[in-house]
Amino acid sequence: MNLQAVRMSARVVVAAAEVTLRQNIVDAFVLFTILLQPLVIAVLAMWMLGGRGSENAIFVVIGSGMTGLWSSLLFMGGNSINWERWTGTLELLVGQPSHMSLIVFGKNLAVVLQSLGSMLASYALAAAFFQAPLHIAQPLLFGVSLVLMVISFVCFGLVIAPIFLMNPQVRHWQNAMEFPIYMLSGFLFPIALLPGWTTPLSYLLTPYWAARALHGTSGGTASSSETLLCWGMMILLAVVYAFVSRWLMDVMLRKARADATLRME
Amino acid sequence: MMRRVWLNLRLFLQGALLSYIGLFAWLRPATYLASKIVMPLAQILFFTFMGISATGQSNAHFYIIGNAVQIAAVSGIYGVTMSVGGDRWAGTLPYLLGTPANRLAMFSGRAFFHVIDGITGVLIALGWGVVLLGLDLTRTDPLALALTILITTFSTSGLGLLLGCISLVSLETMFVNNTAYFLLLIFSGANIQVSTMPGWMQAISQVLPLTRGIAAARRVIAGDSLAQVAPLLVGEVLLGGLYVLVGYSLFRWFEYQGKRRGTLWGF
Repeated sequence: MNLQAVRMSARVVVAAAEVTLRQNIVDAFVLFTILLQPLVIAVLAMWMLGGRGSENAIFVVIGSGMTGLWSSLLFMGGNSINWERWTGTLELLVGQPSHMSLIVFGKNLAVVLQSLGSMLASYALAAAFFQAPLHIAQPLLFGVSLVLMVISFVCFGLVIAPIFLMNPQVRHWQNAMEFPIYMLSGFLFPIALLPGWTTPLSYLLTPYWAARALHGTSGGTASSSETLLCWGMMILLAVVYAFVSRWLMDVMLRKARADATLRME
Repeated sequence: MMRRVWLNLRLFLQGALLSYIGLFAWLRPATYLASKIVMPLAQILFFTFMGISATGQSNAHFYIIGNAVQIAAVSGIYGVTMSVGGDRWAGTLPYLLGTPANRLAMFSGRAFFHVIDGITGVLIALGWGVVLLGLDLTRTDPLALALTILITTFSTSGLGLLLGCISLVSLETMFVNNTAYFLLLIFSGANIQVSTMPGWMQAISQVLPLTRGIAAARRVIAGDSLAQVAPLLVGEVLLGGLYVLVGYSLFRWFEYQGKRRGTLWGF
């Protein structure tokens, strides 16, 4: 791949992200998912976990922000390709020269970046309404964790989107996929409270490693080796998701071009 | 007179059934299972585990009962709103409002099967609590609990009827529904003791459905009799009736405005 091709691919990604951001900023459902829902969860968590001390506030901010991240990825990222089908533009996107995965990458990048607003909203709520001390113990490590989280979440979205497109039965289960991931990923309570057989499921989820890294670096409770483990797992899972999504995209494009079945649900 | 009563009753029941079958978008096996069975279970587990993490295992029943009864809002808000607002999206609203049918029977009937659905949902949720989380119902008066669940789902459906009217004129139906559902998680006392809230939040709690129903359910499961929780249940019924009345008034006003301005198709 030469530099020219990389620049053209980046241009496609940025264009897809920009259009998605512009569309989502005026969508009330998106605003609810990014702002209102995480704020409600933050209020509940601050109240319920308040007895554990004010230093718990940053834990709640991170955890409730991540609930917004996951919900955004599930509903907006998961339906990123379906949305094109519903608006009649899927065939146009499939027929143009750039690979579909670049467009979906751009759309998911926009979704994940805008949903970082969840964390900002929770931060503002905790600071203003609860007047809780909010101090990030390891800001540099936290920043790196945040960047890796964005990348791994986007890659996760690349897997979800074609699955939801090709399997409407799976998409019908979207409403049931929010809270299980909140629990399995340890957003607002440790996974040790869950039955032991769920632990391997948590380890397969990038939100779990992201939450563990962000909680650990914000609260200063994670050792260097633990932080590196979380980073390594996010990178590994991102690579795995990227390979799986490439295969799924090829299946999807074959359905569109050879089978001509994508239009039908 | 009797003929009119019979006709209105038939309108109420047939309208209820047809609106449930035709307009309740979650009435497919996978979607129903996901939204009415699995999602409520996941919500109960999430808040219960968070509560256990915060205050210990001994308080688990507080969150189990609160969230199990709050599940009534899934049918009461989302289901009823679909059955009221669905005519707009299906293009049948002008035909509906062009008929001479009794509006109260037509309007209130939309909630009927969702009340039954809501009762089923709460019972399933309490069942999850018993089977998975060890909720103890041995001291519960079954009649009192049944009545509490019925009244709570009725009052929540009253709110759903009001929100359904808003869906007739608003494009952001899901935004309104989602906001109402999630705010009920805070203000209904499902996860937070109402008595620990600031005064302004307690005032809001008192005018919302579920607050009294959840409080009554907790007391009944703890061993209180029907007579002891009767004041709470009476308050819940009256509040539900008020929501139905306000919703119906809004529905009639929208109908009048729509016909006067010729904007029924534009709703």
